[in-house]
Amino acid sequence: MTINAKQWLERIHELPYRGKVKIMNVCGGHERSITMAGLRKALPDYIELVPGPGCPVCICPEEDVFEAIQLALHEDIILVAFGDMLRVPVNVAKTQARTLEQAKALGADIRPIASPTEAVSIARANPGKAVVFFAAGFETTTAPVAAMMVEGVPENLSLLLSGRLTWPAVAMLLQSGTPGFDVLIAPGHVSTVMGPEEWEFVVDRHHIPAAVAGFQPDSLLAAMYSCLRQLDEGRYFLDNCYPQVVKPGGNKTAQAHLAKAMNVYDANWRGIGIIPSSGYRLDAAYSSHDARKLFPSYADDARKRAGQMPPGCDCAQVVLGKIYPNECKLFGTACIPRNPIGPCMVSDEGACRIWWAGGMREAVSKDAKQKAVG
Amino acid sequence: MCLGIPMQIKSIDGFMARCEAKGVERDVSLFMMQEDELKVDDYVVVHVGYAIQRLTPQEAQTAWEIYDQMLADDPQTRPEAG
Repeated sequence: MTINAKQWLERIHELPYRGKVKIMNVCGGHERSITMAGLRKALPDYIELVPGPGCPVCICPEEDVFEAIQLALHEDIILVAFGDMLRVPVNVAKTQARTLEQAKALGADIRPIASPTEAVSIARANPGKAVVFFAAGFETTTAPVAAMMVEGVPENLSLLLSGRLTWPAVAMLLQSGTPGFDVLIAPGHVSTVMGPEEWEFVVDRHHIPAAVAGFQPDSLLAAMYSCLRQLDEGRYFLDNCYPQVVKPGGNKTAQAHLAKAMNVYDANWRGIGIIPSSGYRLDAAYSSHDARKLFPSYADDARKRAGQMPPGCDCAQVVLGKIYPNECKLFGTACIPRNPIGPCMVSDEGACRIWWAGGMREAVSKDAKQKAVG
Repeated sequence: MCLGIPMQIKSIDGFMARCEAKGVERDVSLFMMQEDELKVDDYVVVHVGYAIQRLTPQEAQTAWEIYDQMLADDPQTRPEAG
């Protein structure tokens, strides 16, 4: 029997009241579905849905975006990147290019792509030119980049890699002692690639109910219901509410490509800092395709606010689920999708942009909280 | 960036497949699906041009019905969006 979203909602409303429960998701796709389906309004008042670290564009190190901009401006290259990255601002004087989009307007050859296969095609079509693929993304996106490398790329294609793993950010929140959530909705497509087992530590080590969810409201609500029932019964386990796509063990071929082409290291997250075992870098066997080794570094430690979020921007707090998007003082005033200040307003997976698109546009004080507008 | 789209395989040439969804065709790499014996008419979840998992026809149909509803509800994707 298939249970639809309305029926899941009815079941959730039938559960006993227990006091406030904060449910965190760590996927921009989940947050988008939740917001667009209006789930915050549809759920009982005691449930708060918290968008957590689910936007790879938002946490891509500012230094990496700066490096990509400088490479595109100063080296004789074609720089390709996923479209979201082109509008992420870095902290430089207004007279300089603040985004890849602005660098493109200044004459740099920068091209948005939607797939690693396009990077290969562009490199093949321009054999006399170096092509640098600035690749930011979580596991679901980094695995195809790894697959591209393992399959073999033209000599003139190199990677400026900013791949990140999702679970270490959740582990960091849980280890902090103030995770800010009582229930975790685990990401559907990250789990498709890496396997749902990656999230067992949330239950086993931290005794927090967790469930993998898909992107449809029925799957998200099923995951929420499962976790609320787990709280009720005091019996916690990792549930899989997206079994049609998320299989035990995940996609082994994709994991093999990741293991072959990349190494995991302690990586920097913009505005957050170093998170242990949270980043992918190219394996030494691929160093002839590593843009960080092929080109000079343009890093400038003296650059003002290097690595930080823009002045006044609370994106780092939004990413960690410490505040809601509309609690940032720039949200909806200085920072809007047409003129984004912080990366969370740039990316389609950024919580700020999603809330704006969903009509949750009024800024509120930290006391008023999301229910005032949600 | 992590959202996959269900697509149907129309033709296969080595590790590349021509896939279709809602009348739109795309080249899709099957390089991460080497352990699955995929064939024409099968459904896969596609993310950034790579198939990441197989789907049954029923699952693909259900997913698209819900995506259609989400797209219709999204002000960013409605034609009148500014």
